[in-house]
Amino acid sequence: MSRSTPLIQTIGLKKHYQLDKADSPALEGIQLKIFSGERVALMGPSGSGKSSLLNLIGCLDLPTAGQILYQDVDTSLMNDKKLSAFRNKSMGFIFQSFNLIPVLSVFENVEYPLLWQNLSSGERKARVAGMLEKVGLASFARRSPELLSGGQRQRVAIARALAGKPRLVLADEPTAALDQKTGRDIMELMTQLNEEEGATLVFSTHDPLVAQWAHRIIRLVDGKIVSDPTETANEQVRP
Amino acid sequence: MKVILLAWRNIFRQKRHTAATLLAVILGIAGLVVFEGFLHQLMGSFRDSTILSGIGHLQVASRADYWKKGEYSPYSYALADHGKVEQSLQHDPRVLSVFPSTGFTCLAGAGTKSLSLLVKAFPNSRMYFSQKTNRRADASQLVPDKFYLGHLEAGEEPDPLQTGELYLGATAARILGVRPGDTVTLMALLPEGGLNGRDFKIRGLFTSPGFDRYFAYTDYKTAMDFTLQKAPPVLHILLRHRQDTAGVAGELAVKFPQDHVKTWQELAVYYRQVNSMFTTFLTIIQAILMLVTLFLLANSMARSVLERRREWGTLRALGTPAPAIVVMVLLEGILLGGVGGLAGLGVGYAAAGVINLCGGLPFHNASQLLSVDVVPEASLVGVAVLPLLITGALAALAPAWQAVKTQPADSLRELA
Ligand SMILES: Nc1ncnc2c1ncn2[C@@H]1O[C@H](COP(=O)(O)OP(=O)(O)O)[C@@H](O)[C@H]1O
Ligand SMILES: [Mg+2]
Repeated sequence: MSRSTPLIQTIGLKKHYQLDKADSPALEGIQLKIFSGERVALMGPSGSGKSSLLNLIGCLDLPTAGQILYQDVDTSLMNDKKLSAFRNKSMGFIFQSFNLIPVLSVFENVEYPLLWQNLSSGERKARVAGMLEKVGLASFARRSPELLSGGQRQRVAIARALAGKPRLVLADEPTAALDQKTGRDIMELMTQLNEEEGATLVFSTHDPLVAQWAHRIIRLVDGKIVSDPTETANEQVRP
Repeated sequence: MKVILLAWRNIFRQKRHTAATLLAVILGIAGLVVFEGFLHQLMGSFRDSTILSGIGHLQVASRADYWKKGEYSPYSYALADHGKVEQSLQHDPRVLSVFPSTGFTCLAGAGTKSLSLLVKAFPNSRMYFSQKTNRRADASQLVPDKFYLGHLEAGEEPDPLQTGELYLGATAARILGVRPGDTVTLMALLPEGGLNGRDFKIRGLFTSPGFDRYFAYTDYKTAMDFTLQKAPPVLHILLRHRQDTAGVAGELAVKFPQDHVKTWQELAVYYRQVNSMFTTFLTIIQAILMLVTLFLLANSMARSVLERRREWGTLRALGTPAPAIVVMVLLEGILLGGVGGLAGLGVGYAAAGVINLCGGLPFHNASQLLSVDVVPEASLVGVAVLPLLITGALAALAPAWQAVKTQPADSLRELA
């Protein structure tokens, strides 16, 4: 599969944490490219650096060394305001424990990121309603997320991540807090939306069954990529 | 808008400890309201009864040192243009009454006993005593155009048609061994060295704490005749509204530049001292309350911001700029302070109402147990709520910084 400019490219990406003055390496020279429309799984055991990598890609943390380019744009040069707007417009986030805002209703949770965009209220409401329809929660719009099951909450989170039509959706262990059947439903929904909406999806998991939903599985161990089909061979990317 | 909404809803989220904090703030503010209302009413009635017990809203004299030396030795202080001053105020709608007074020192003798006395003299129609004891600290029961001179222990109220009668302090009467109906002889030293003496019939005995050992009252006309004065040394002016004092004083000063005008604020020295002491006291209590509130709110805000650590990360991941989160937390503090302040005012006013229904709060003044209604000042709304908004914002400063000082990833990390 040949693609010209990758959506995301990391160059010599390093993340070290400072733990009681001791230096604790979490990522050691990550080199990877992710292309538009791809569905990529980051797989590895707990502590292998999956979350650290997703956080760096999501501009939620600063790398110790190295660079991340978004279609050749270097976000390390952006200030908080620009970075917030960039995250808001271009990225959607899905978290292991859903991270819905408990004081907002289901509808308001999905609407929240759109409030930071220049949308008319009519368009905004229509988009939220459309997304809730797609994730099958239209009838739960007025509910508090606290009254929903885990699977339902993650659907709300998916709707929230996709409502702003981002280019990139980042999901850190999106099924780890769910039972196997619900996890499968969530992966199915994310896959379907990835195909319908054309957003690039990068998710992490330690579960091989979950990783199978990806076009491409990048394996991490101890902060290093141990296998990445795109880098190693001219392997077909589709599963 | 979105920021305000989130801040507002977040206040009522950690119900338990928000409720505990709010309760403390509300009780503090309510206590302040009741205390302020009590002091306000007590000082207000003290002020009004001071004005209406021999001072008046304004006094006009011919020389400034009259108030230092002339009150009981008025011989060189004749207010020559008193007639013009009275005339100029006669049709002023702000003025209730204008009348002169004088005073003298004398020796009082009855039988074998004698005593030196200070005698004050007002027109008969401008002074009264009372047989009822006023057990409520409430000056509205005083007559607004006359002076109340004390509690009438025995005898009768002044009769406008009678002159040459004396009201003697009860303690002085006991020392002299006289009762109403008896006669005492007063002897006064006049300016030219003459000695004048005259018999006065005692019409009544009054009690007034601290005064009834040395004081006596007679009518103005008799006193002027007795001391051979032609013009009164001073005029008292009683106004319809206390607030007009400065205005009337200013106009008099312009119209009668040769005379001297003093306001009740200048004349009521004791009231001023007590009032400034209570005001200082109240300010200190307010400051302590604000400090305690600051501490309570800061503690509550710090906790609730810490508990929501992951949420700040989420909000920032979703594209909320850090300054918006700072504003959100500050607003939460401000709203918390405002809610506490308003609710505290509400509870305070309600408590004041209940206390008043039950007859007010007790207060022991020099002579008796008074009951004081709790009447908070309306301006207290500003005094209590505004600093609380600021306190709320101050309390939220550190937590707000706490919410955004880390990278979003650090806020988002699962707590181990
Ligand atoms: N904030 C942090 N401070 C110190 N060490 C951290 C921090 N976050 C992660 N680590 C360490 O970095 C390594 C990678 O962690 P993480 O990226 O969370 O891995 P994964 O998501 O694959 O479990 C682990 O050894 C973890 O203990
Ligand atoms: Mg992880």
